[in-house]
Amino acid sequence: GDNTTFRAQLRDDPDVASAVAAIRALLGFLKQDRGETIQGLRSSLLAAIDTLSRVDSSVAVSSGGELFLRFISLTSLEYSDYSKCKEIMIERGEIFLRKVSLSRNKIAKLCHPFIRDGARILTHAYSRVVLRVLEAAVESKKRFSVYVTESQPDQAGQKMAKALRKLNIPVTVILDAAVGYIMEKVDLVLVGAEGVVESGGIINKIGTNQIAVCAKAQNKPFYVVAESFKFVRLFPLNQQDVPDKFKYKADTLKTSQNLTEEHPWIDYTSPSLITLLFTDLGVLTPSAVSDELIKLYL
Amino acid sequence: MPGAADRGSELSEQIEAFVARLRGGGERPRSEDTARQTLSLLRKIIAHGRWSRAGELMDLIRTEGQRMTAAQPSETTVGNMVRRVLKVIREEYGRLHGRSEESDQQESLHKLLTSGGLSEDFSTPYPPLRANVIEAINELLIELEGTTDNIAMQALEHIHSNEVIMTIGYSRTVEAFLKEAARKRKFQVIVAECAPFCQGHEMAVRLSKENIETTVMSDAAIFAVMSRVNKVIIGTKTILANGALIAVSGTHTLALAAKHHSTPLIVCAPMFKLSPQFPNEEDSFHKFVSPQEVLPFTEGEILAKINVHCPVFDYVPPELITLFISNIGGNAPSYIYRLMSELYHPDDYEL
Repeated sequence: GDNTTFRAQLRDDPDVASAVAAIRALLGFLKQDRGETIQGLRSSLLAAIDTLSRVDSSVAVSSGGELFLRFISLTSLEYSDYSKCKEIMIERGEIFLRKVSLSRNKIAKLCHPFIRDGARILTHAYSRVVLRVLEAAVESKKRFSVYVTESQPDQAGQKMAKALRKLNIPVTVILDAAVGYIMEKVDLVLVGAEGVVESGGIINKIGTNQIAVCAKAQNKPFYVVAESFKFVRLFPLNQQDVPDKFKYKADTLKTSQNLTEEHPWIDYTSPSLITLLFTDLGVLTPSAVSDELIKLYL
Repeated sequence: MPGAADRGSELSEQIEAFVARLRGGGERPRSEDTARQTLSLLRKIIAHGRWSRAGELMDLIRTEGQRMTAAQPSETTVGNMVRRVLKVIREEYGRLHGRSEESDQQESLHKLLTSGGLSEDFSTPYPPLRANVIEAINELLIELEGTTDNIAMQALEHIHSNEVIMTIGYSRTVEAFLKEAARKRKFQVIVAECAPFCQGHEMAVRLSKENIETTVMSDAAIFAVMSRVNKVIIGTKTILANGALIAVSGTHTLALAAKHHSTPLIVCAPMFKLSPQFPNEEDSFHKFVSPQEVLPFTEGEILAKINVHCPVFDYVPPELITLFISNIGGNAPSYIYRLMSELYHPDDYEL
């Protein structure tokens, strides 16, 4: 049912964030649900989220799912009549989806003033939000050049470079190993995030932590752009604390014999290495992120 | 009505005079005076201006505010006061409109999930709004009066006997802070003279009048002396949204020397200096004055061959600062974002 809808959404609209696709699938599931109680709804939603994470076990789907569950709980607290509650939920769900579709533009508007004319930017792998920010900077007539890491093992950096060339931005693809070498030439580092954790740190494609450490060592600002639905209720203290289900692809988790021999796809960057986070809730320092999460979940 | 027209033109005259004074520069105005003048002017605009709804009033304030801030971008207190007034208007409107006192005006994940999609309109006219807003501004003015005293009152907690305190330039807030502590404790102060204007000299004279043992030294000696200093206490022109400072030129050097020796750096600044701007956005913070102070015009031959700059301000990143002491208490730089959300509304960050 929603498995196929979810997969279809991800395929048809490559521009949509996987968390948004997950929330859309869950909303569709909610509309079709025949249950009569909130408890029943919650348990079927939990099962649905589980199914979705078996398709795509990334952080984004997990955060989208948790946010949706929270949304259900908050709404059900206000209305005790189930059918009225369900109507309100569906209405608010649509409004929420509409708002988040605007979030990338909001972020681009906040972030592009930080890119000065003549800047040299370093970015990592393929991020749609970073692409939107750079697009906004081009629209405001700024000239800058970009270095992209190749980002093995899937060479996502090449995809990013192709998209940037279409915008007429001078782009250089560099080896992942060349980050330390290139850092002295760079003015700022701009990356996206798959998830933003409670401490204000981020979970992103493997290699991000390295770039952050190099940037810190050479005093270059390290900016993160992420939508607010990526905020996740995790508090990892080191790389080990990040759950395995995020580190490896869903298929690998199912089939692999020994996970320690697999290469992880993501890493954790601690908040002390991040200068500022640009989200649709505004420009935040890493210490402000936990405040936002507390406001939501408490 | 001739009365209204007269008042209207008198008001625009006053605004023009204020803008011209800001643009003129001249001698360094005191931030508190600028804030007070801005608030009084805004109060007059609200009292005499032609508006009937909150939305119109906010647009009016915003237009005037843009004009005033454009006259002198480095005087951030003007913009800060305009934003405070806009927040006050929003609050008073909300109170009359019957909404709850919660900060549900702020963007948050929570609001994203639970809102019904309506955005605030500000179009319902409320007759008592004018009086309420003016009263709130009067409260703001009273708060302004007390800021230096509130900061000075915290002095005894931070300064202990036989300590060596270092400061730079001349800050009236720090002067009041140190004077208050000197009433009960005995300590020494080293003042960096802060070339080329050498305002440190005036600071030293004022402190020594209160029988505080003061030493003046040149900026070049800051690092050399730092090992003997217990605390560094400075004032600032502006506090930025990420907890950084725009302070008098030479402060970054002082902050780096303090960091190297692990000496705490305390910034005494009232809350009206907190600005919701971030650094990196168009270098409009830099103010340059005549290089006459650095290299006088009498050195004509050399002047033709070189470039001389005389910047007034310095940027100090938040990692170098230990504590902010303001009229509402002591805070860490990482907490500034929270104070900002209490003072200003996110929609007003861009005037």
